[in-house]
Amino acid sequence: MNDVLIPVLLILLAPLLGGLLYGFERIVKARMQRRIGPPLLQPFYDFLKLADKRRIMVHSTHAFLGIMHFVSLWFALAVLLLGGDLILVIFLHLLSTSLLILAGYSTRSVFSHLGANRAAISVLAYEPVLIIMAVSIFMLNGTFDAAAVFTSKEPLLYKMPLAFIALLLVLPIKLKKSPFDVAEAHQEITGGVELEFSGLFYEAVYTARWLDYIFCYTLVFLFAGNNILLGTGLVIFTFIYLNALDNSTARVSYKQMLRFSLGVAGTLAFINLLLNSLS
Amino acid sequence: MNLAPYRKKSPWILHYNAGGCNGCDIEILACLSPKYDIERFGMINTGNPKQSDILLVTGPVTKRSRERLVEIYAQMPEPKVVISCGACASTGGVFRGMYNCEGGVDQFIPVDVYVCGCGTRPEQIIDGVVQALAILEKKTKGLEESVKLKKEAVKEGLQLNRRHIADEIKPVLT
Repeated sequence: MNDVLIPVLLILLAPLLGGLLYGFERIVKARMQRRIGPPLLQPFYDFLKLADKRRIMVHSTHAFLGIMHFVSLWFALAVLLLGGDLILVIFLHLLSTSLLILAGYSTRSVFSHLGANRAAISVLAYEPVLIIMAVSIFMLNGTFDAAAVFTSKEPLLYKMPLAFIALLLVLPIKLKKSPFDVAEAHQEITGGVELEFSGLFYEAVYTARWLDYIFCYTLVFLFAGNNILLGTGLVIFTFIYLNALDNSTARVSYKQMLRFSLGVAGTLAFINLLLNSLS
Repeated sequence: MNLAPYRKKSPWILHYNAGGCNGCDIEILACLSPKYDIERFGMINTGNPKQSDILLVTGPVTKRSRERLVEIYAQMPEPKVVISCGACASTGGVFRGMYNCEGGVDQFIPVDVYVCGCGTRPEQIIDGVVQALAILEKKTKGLEESVKLKKEAVKEGLQLNRRHIADEIKPVLT
């Protein structure tokens, strides 16, 4: 009973939790820059304000793809939290990202196209690492199920530390954080794929971002097995690491990002896979 | 559900320089710095007209930038307010009457708040934005139009440019 209740509650409350996390992150980021920062509930104020704007859409397919991005991301998160197949989870996440990329290509805006190009390149950068990570988990557990990882006694962190480092290196790409935020690049292409969304339809993309936070921190939590204390520690460490990195680095070009993620993070994940399959 | 009170809790700002000297722009960016920190009011400097509520315009409108200004204004979804930041944006300032300059922003789009100063101080900008938020809360979602089409471009012959002024004051000086 308890095994199902907690994941279901987490899934239902995921946008709420993600919003709180995003608000908290904005405060932490502001404090790191010696600013006061917005209130904790700021993302929800933004949400309510965006609902009040006049509705403008580029065309209906564009708005629909944006909403489907949110829905499929929530679905991917649900599968992950209920302990589904990891490969399925990764590809569902890929599906949701590709829906957003399609939405970016469906408009005529140059910035939107540029953003979609860069989002596709970002997928190319982080996806191999995630898949190698899932395969490593398969090598250890003999199954792709996330449930087997959540219930395992020994944390994955001790068995595959290199994969955790690789995950830490690609998480900024996935969450669009500096130095790997080429896909979003607010000063450069003003948001990329989300550029043409406005009002109520932007809300879908804006809240999908909160879900993405929960998704990524669940992936981090995966490395602790059934050890909740260690998992919380890992999530807090990752949170501080991501924000410190975001505040202290400048954006690199997409080529540098690709070279780094495939060269360093990809290699680390692959060595980890080799070690796991040898042992 | 009445959502109007939340408008003033998360005003997203779009900043456009219509052709000024960048003095006011630097002051706007100073508002984001740790000393003034307008993010504590939930304001974000977005670069995207489709997601912003407040248009901060600096600088006089030049013949090149007026089309862009109106385009950007038209892309913002209602409710929206416009703040003209600085003497140039409000009246044309020191650029008024020059051959490349059309004068103030209010010739092309309806302006809600005028902020004076050359350049404006960050305190004044924050004050202006607070006034604009009170207006934003009362606005409806009805379509607002630019006044561009009702106004013809300033003809070159009608304007006094610097050369004319120099010619006029030459006898006085010598």
